[in-house]
Amino acid sequence: MRVRFADGTTKELNVNGISIRELFKTLNLLLEEYIVVVKGRVVTDDYIVKDGDEVILYPVVSGG
Amino acid sequence: MVNCSLCNRPAVYVMRAGGKAYCEHHFLRYFDKKVRKTIRKYRMFREKEHIVVAVSGGKDSLALLHYLNKLSNRVPGWRISALLIDEGIKGYRDRTIKDFLKVVNELNVDYRIVSFKKEIGYTLDEIVKIGINKGLPYLPCSYCGVFRRYLLNKAAREMSGSVLATAHNLDDIIQTYLLNIIQNNWDKVPKLAPVSKGPFHPKFVRRVKPFYEVLEKETTLYAILNSLYPEFIECPYAVHSVRWSIRRYINELEEKHPGTKYSLIRSLLNIIGILEKLGYGKEGAIGTCSICGEPSSNKVCRACMFRKELGILT
Repeated sequence: MRVRFADGTTKELNVNGISIRELFKTLNLLLEEYIVVVKGRVVTDDYIVKDGDEVILYPVVSGG
Repeated sequence: MVNCSLCNRPAVYVMRAGGKAYCEHHFLRYFDKKVRKTIRKYRMFREKEHIVVAVSGGKDSLALLHYLNKLSNRVPGWRISALLIDEGIKGYRDRTIKDFLKVVNELNVDYRIVSFKKEIGYTLDEIVKIGINKGLPYLPCSYCGVFRRYLLNKAAREMSGSVLATAHNLDDIIQTYLLNIIQNNWDKVPKLAPVSKGPFHPKFVRRVKPFYEVLEKETTLYAILNSLYPEFIECPYAVHSVRWSIRRYINELEEKHPGTKYSLIRSLLNIIGILEKLGYGKEGAIGTCSICGEPSSNKVCRACMFRKELGILT
């Protein structure tokens, strides 16, 4: 699966069948700081990511 | 997969502090209800208002402009305008202006862009360089904040605005609250109220924060669901801010203990009441700056004090 960050950078991860919550733990990110979109839909932290999914992370915190 | 507590459709938002989940439709209804309640509770707007919305081109201010513009369709006495302050931060503000223009044109809202360069004489980038060359402390966020607030008030007044709405959300407010505690700035805490309080200077435009009780996660989701989320870009000066560490700390606390943010805003509202009784923050903007004639609580306003220090007072 691929994780796409808002700045355009991506990260390929060799995981399958894990929840967004577990994915965030792996990436050492806070759920409080992102809105997660998969297949064009906003998903909650229990969504199970499958192989081939692209997870887009929209930061909640703004830098300005 | 979590479903909406109200209709069983897939949820887009889980309110962990309240134990509820909402689908897109019910999230937008929850959001609308929450902001309208905040506006009513703090008596932010009257029946007849020219609301000038301070917009940076970021997600929160675009969300506020979109929301108030939509709400104004239900209030015949309201007029909405947008105001953007262009500080002149290369590679940052020039890009957010594009997002700003896209949205004001789509919404067909009147707008004004006011630049540091034209009004102060220098861009923020130039001001920061002048400060460094003069050996002054490195204060990009202080220069930016003071000059921006100065110009927001001046321009909103020139636009005949009766009230200035800013997109400060619950997260912004509690971060500033903690920052003021750390810096022992109790005089600044009453200024974190949802509406600016008098006595007022005739040149001062009343300020309100309609997103006062709305979490930043909620304003972001509103922006995404309404296709307002702009190109992600960070202010190059923001990394130097202590606020960054405070924000991370509060978010860690909220994740471990849902409801921490709401507790902090309640704590702030209580302490504002206590501080006001003790006479803190009473001086307000009742005087007039002897240099520029704008409202000031001191003989010379902070914008003119900075201009004096930087040697850019004309």
